[in-house]
Amino acid sequence: MADITTIPDHLRAKAQEKGWPDDVVQQALATGASADQIIGYMNQGVTAEQARQFLAAQAGGGPEPSDALKAKAADANWPLDLVKRALAMGAAENDLINFMDMGVTAEQAQQFIEQGGGGGASFQVDLSWMDVPTEWNTRAKPTKHGLTLEAINIGKYGDIPDIWPYQTEMPRGAVPIPGVEGMGYSIFEKQEVWSDACAKLYEEAIQRRWRPATDVPWTSIEPLPDDLERAICQICTHISEKEQLEADVLGRWEPEISYGYHEVKLYLATTIFENARAVEVFRKRALSNGGGLGVQSSGWAFRSIVDARNFTEMVAIQMVLHDSLTLGQYAFGEKFARNPAEKFIFAHCLQDKARHLSYGVSHLKYVLLHRPERREEIQRYLDKGEGMLVQDDKKDPSTRESFAMYFAGGKDKIADGLQVYDAMRKTALGQYLARLKWATLDRSQRLQPGLKAYLGS
Amino acid sequence: MPVFPSVEWFDAIKNIVNQDPEFRALGTVDSVIGVKVGGKIYELIFEAFECTNVREATDNDLRDMDFWLEQPYDKWQDMIENIKRNGKAGLSHTLNTLDLSMPEGLARSHDGYRRDAFYRFNQSIQDFFNASAKIDTQFAAAEAVTA
Repeated sequence: MADITTIPDHLRAKAQEKGWPDDVVQQALATGASADQIIGYMNQGVTAEQARQFLAAQAGGGPEPSDALKAKAADANWPLDLVKRALAMGAAENDLINFMDMGVTAEQAQQFIEQGGGGGASFQVDLSWMDVPTEWNTRAKPTKHGLTLEAINIGKYGDIPDIWPYQTEMPRGAVPIPGVEGMGYSIFEKQEVWSDACAKLYEEAIQRRWRPATDVPWTSIEPLPDDLERAICQICTHISEKEQLEADVLGRWEPEISYGYHEVKLYLATTIFENARAVEVFRKRALSNGGGLGVQSSGWAFRSIVDARNFTEMVAIQMVLHDSLTLGQYAFGEKFARNPAEKFIFAHCLQDKARHLSYGVSHLKYVLLHRPERREEIQRYLDKGEGMLVQDDKKDPSTRESFAMYFAGGKDKIADGLQVYDAMRKTALGQYLARLKWATLDRSQRLQPGLKAYLGS
Repeated sequence: MPVFPSVEWFDAIKNIVNQDPEFRALGTVDSVIGVKVGGKIYELIFEAFECTNVREATDNDLRDMDFWLEQPYDKWQDMIENIKRNGKAGLSHTLNTLDLSMPEGLARSHDGYRRDAFYRFNQSIQDFFNASAKIDTQFAAAEAVTA
């Protein structure tokens, strides 16, 4: 049988690493603990001094329990040597009393101690993270708008570089750790995603939230003639389809954007949320008044968004071109709404959509100011987007006709409604051109002929 | 009794909305808005959760505003009376409805981007005018306004 006080080589090596002198190791072996058990205690952070006290307590030494603790232990049927062992391992008297009050049995306490618990340092601490060389003493102050993203962009934390050099999810201003796996981002340039308004738009989106389930006055909707109900339900089908697509497309682009531009990522997250809210509210309207859903869209216009190969292409088509027309639909929907519920729905979606447009247009302006060579490239994206839109118009009578019926009040007056539809397009396209002009893009001569025709009406 | 249009009238509305938790609950509004009534122009400044200032302004000031609201005096009167009768704008008298009912629009701007503030903050601006239901309005003589 091996001499249990002879220290095996692997235990000796660990003891040297952890600063346990030979006599403590030998005492521990003499109590019957195995080398692996002792190594386990060392790895859990038990110090040589703690081990010495524990061993002394086992032998009858170590901290003496107070009279109060002794009395409590007697009530709880904890043997005194168990109490002494726990104290020797660094447990505080108050903690032991609490455990006893909670009903922890002596057996449970024994198991806990043997597994390395029982108070004191049960693991080694590092704390080197407290010495990282980040900018300290930062005190962002709340503004009239509260403590906003812009308000915390101070010092180094407000430096938004033109190129973000990190592949990981490290927040801007933090200290990188070499070797952390890359996240596979594809966008590292500020001009690809930035808008000077994005931080402000994020805060506005957060502040101006609304709740379809409870804010919309649903009970104000009264039965409509069948053709009118079918018209509004088709409109709801169309809108919930395209808003879901927009959310999906943005959701795909979010993880492509590196962490240096968190303002953009946060703002786009609100846009996805607002797209989802539009899906929700229009679907609810379709299913709340005796109607149902209608036919899906032919989808050609959507492909130009889905097929966008870079972020600015997607923004130009989705968040400037398409959103301009959708905003027109919401504005005219609000005007012709026949009840407070529909009025509320269109009015609130109008607000959300205007915010999407603000990001889209201001992003284009930022790109054109910083990368003027991209001007023709953006014009071509709009050429493509407008072209697909016009083709979709030819394939998809449902959107045009349903809006026309909604505006006119019924199928028998659809001719009047089609004139209003054309007026809606005219208004929306006029605003589209005005927005692009602000972004320094003149599209008045280049507008797709199928859309330009509306401006002459 | 505040007279429409006047700084006093807009101040009365401002004081109502700035104390109204429902107006605050709509969220932040950051916009410089004009209201043009005949020859009279008023500038309303909204910042964060409040209307912070009302003043009389000039044509030159319109360029610095996000947008301004302009319609014939009798239409202003009709809108405010509708709000007073119904407690808020009726379905046919919302700002957006009026905007789309006029060929030149109710909301006008020199800037195609800034004009979208009319849409972004539409419900807060609507709420602002809806607050006129809580005061009694005396209307100025048309000749005094359109001169």
